[in-house]
Amino acid sequence: MKKSRAVAALLAASISLAGAATVANAAEQSASFRQDYLAGAITWDKVESRAKGEKELNFYYWGGDDTLNVWIDSVVRPAMAERGIKLNPVRIAATKDAVDLVLTELAAGKAEGEGSVDVIWLNGENFFTLAQQDALWGSFAETLPNSKNFVWDPASPLSSPNLRDFGTETNGREIPWSGEQYVCAMNGQYVQAADTPATFADLKAYLEDNPGKFTYVKPPHYVGNTFVQEAIYAHNPDGNGAEPFQKSVNELGAEELARLIAPGLDYLKAIEPLLATADGGKPRYPEDTAALDNMFLNAEVYFNCKFGIYAVNSGLITGRYPEAAREFIFPEKLMIKNKNYLAIPLNSPNPASALVFADYMSSVDAQASKLKTVGYPVGIDPTQLSANDRELVKIAAPSHYGVTSEDLDANAVADTNASLVDIIEATWLEYIERGSDKPIADIVADAVGKSAPE
Amino acid sequence: MQTASRQMKLSVFQRFYILAIVAFVLGPFLPLIIQSLAFRWAWPDLLPSTWWLERRTESPVPLAWDYVLSPYSQVGIATINTLFIGFAATLLCLMICLPAARALARNRFRGKRAFEFLLSMPLIVPEAVIGMALLMIYIRLGLAGSYTGIIIAHLIPTIPYMVRMLTSVYQGLAPDYEEQAAILGAGRLQILLRVTLPMLMPGLVAGALFTFLVSSNVFLLTFFLGQGRIVTLPTLLFSKISGGSLDASAAGIALVASLPGIVLFALSERLVREELFVGGLGR
Repeated sequence: MKKSRAVAALLAASISLAGAATVANAAEQSASFRQDYLAGAITWDKVESRAKGEKELNFYYWGGDDTLNVWIDSVVRPAMAERGIKLNPVRIAATKDAVDLVLTELAAGKAEGEGSVDVIWLNGENFFTLAQQDALWGSFAETLPNSKNFVWDPASPLSSPNLRDFGTETNGREIPWSGEQYVCAMNGQYVQAADTPATFADLKAYLEDNPGKFTYVKPPHYVGNTFVQEAIYAHNPDGNGAEPFQKSVNELGAEELARLIAPGLDYLKAIEPLLATADGGKPRYPEDTAALDNMFLNAEVYFNCKFGIYAVNSGLITGRYPEAAREFIFPEKLMIKNKNYLAIPLNSPNPASALVFADYMSSVDAQASKLKTVGYPVGIDPTQLSANDRELVKIAAPSHYGVTSEDLDANAVADTNASLVDIIEATWLEYIERGSDKPIADIVADAVGKSAPE
Repeated sequence: MQTASRQMKLSVFQRFYILAIVAFVLGPFLPLIIQSLAFRWAWPDLLPSTWWLERRTESPVPLAWDYVLSPYSQVGIATINTLFIGFAATLLCLMICLPAARALARNRFRGKRAFEFLLSMPLIVPEAVIGMALLMIYIRLGLAGSYTGIIIAHLIPTIPYMVRMLTSVYQGLAPDYEEQAAILGAGRLQILLRVTLPMLMPGLVAGALFTFLVSSNVFLLTFFLGQGRIVTLPTLLFSKISGGSLDASAAGIALVASLPGIVLFALSERLVREELFVGGLGR
């Protein structure tokens, strides 16, 4: 026993020593590359040639979508190989895993150039976490050649999702990859077009006639949070929808926030008895979109609300949606629209490859191909493109079922500030899930207190 | 021949029980197989309303088995990784456990009881806790995300089983045989190869098989310490079904994931039986 343990320890030590020497050198170079690049001292040619010398590119992304996996392997991998970069796509079960990995590595002393993650696909809370922990590489977005495909001028309303991710300033530390909108689908086999709800009041009326035929993903999943946010927008006592929710929790204050969100939460509590039920009569909130997709396919519910402008198209292609699935506009003028991004963590071991990758993903070709194959809407802003390229993107778009992209644009609204999302989520969990009797004002005050700056 | 004539005399009850066992063992596979061939299978349909083959040609993306068997699914590399890690961990585990089991079975020493108890600790502490603690150490050592790291980690849940199994095998093997061989002039290596190992073989094979099966099913340790970079069949399956639904490609991957175990069981079943009843002690 003793001997073998000693052997194992020796083995481990020698491996780590041999590894450490070569890694240390590369890490120093990565760190100086970062400083020089961010200072504007490195031309794009140099970035491209440095990328060729780097080991590989570790792209961490949610791997639950077969179609996306096929696209990454069959389109992106060869495109990167053309640029002399070996793409290593790492499929993860949840984006938070990659964020945790970066933070764990940083905590273990793996600083600049010494990590294992080069690029993460993320948005919202995950970006917020990395930004808060100073775990991001730096402001690279506007320095990429393809940054010309985005609107960066703060004066234009189109710039908003490029400059702010759920209210957190991006500062170019991530670059938009796809746009998304919260779209609801219904099962046309059971729901007549005339009965399709357009407002939250309509939905309640429908459910009173057809109890149990609706539910939403359970917060803290972001798809559930978004439904709650839309309900809160719709019941905003001041009647100005999303507007006040663009401010941070510090600007707004706990009391004001509680006043603004109370009617929406009361509505959600009121429809609770009308939602789909689990065994024992309690309302059933699916844990994630896959579970909701299943309930929708099995006609346990007739509606399916999630992020996905082309979700119906994909659902019909893969058989995940019932044959009669159709999109509809709900809630009118309040369909949350946002973008998701590619971020480079601070300790990326192959930063030049990461930059080339981010630039490739922002190209018209990559964006149009992703739109066509995977059905993920473009993250670039078509207004910035030439007429030819705009046409290219238009042709690549999958079909809509029941609505037009003009309808969707006309009903779009901004997402909620990331600092409020946490509070709203905590309030939902306390008020609805745990059925607390405390007034909403107290629950919000507690949640704000807990999330106060450390 | 004897067994054949016994089979003829099965009573109705015996047949019923055998059928019930078969149903329990094979039952879970049936929906998996159907699901893996389905395009759209909604409740309460007994069978899929649309089959994969009906949509196969017109679909713009590979569906069901087309996806599972394509390189995009990563099933190939995951299978290779699972087998490689499983064999390496089993071999390493045997090398550590054989001498340990011999000492435990034959020698008396202070604190033996406590040591035997300590051996099962890794089975008592939750895997997630071990994984989290190991990850920090691994990151510092540069072992995170490496095959070496995963193989070493797989020793944690396997050594307790292997030591216990081999100890009881050694206990059943009296030292007399080895002593007699020594008296007859055999060297240490000869004794090991010609006497000890053949007599240990059935227990050893069973222990190795068990170790391999445990290793090829370890999810959490592989997931934490492989940092997602080392894909094995369990991690692949988990990332597919973590959404809480089982679609056609997930069902296909699940079926592939159960193959190594089935093949190994079939092989070792023959091996163990032959060793025990045909070769066995008489050889």
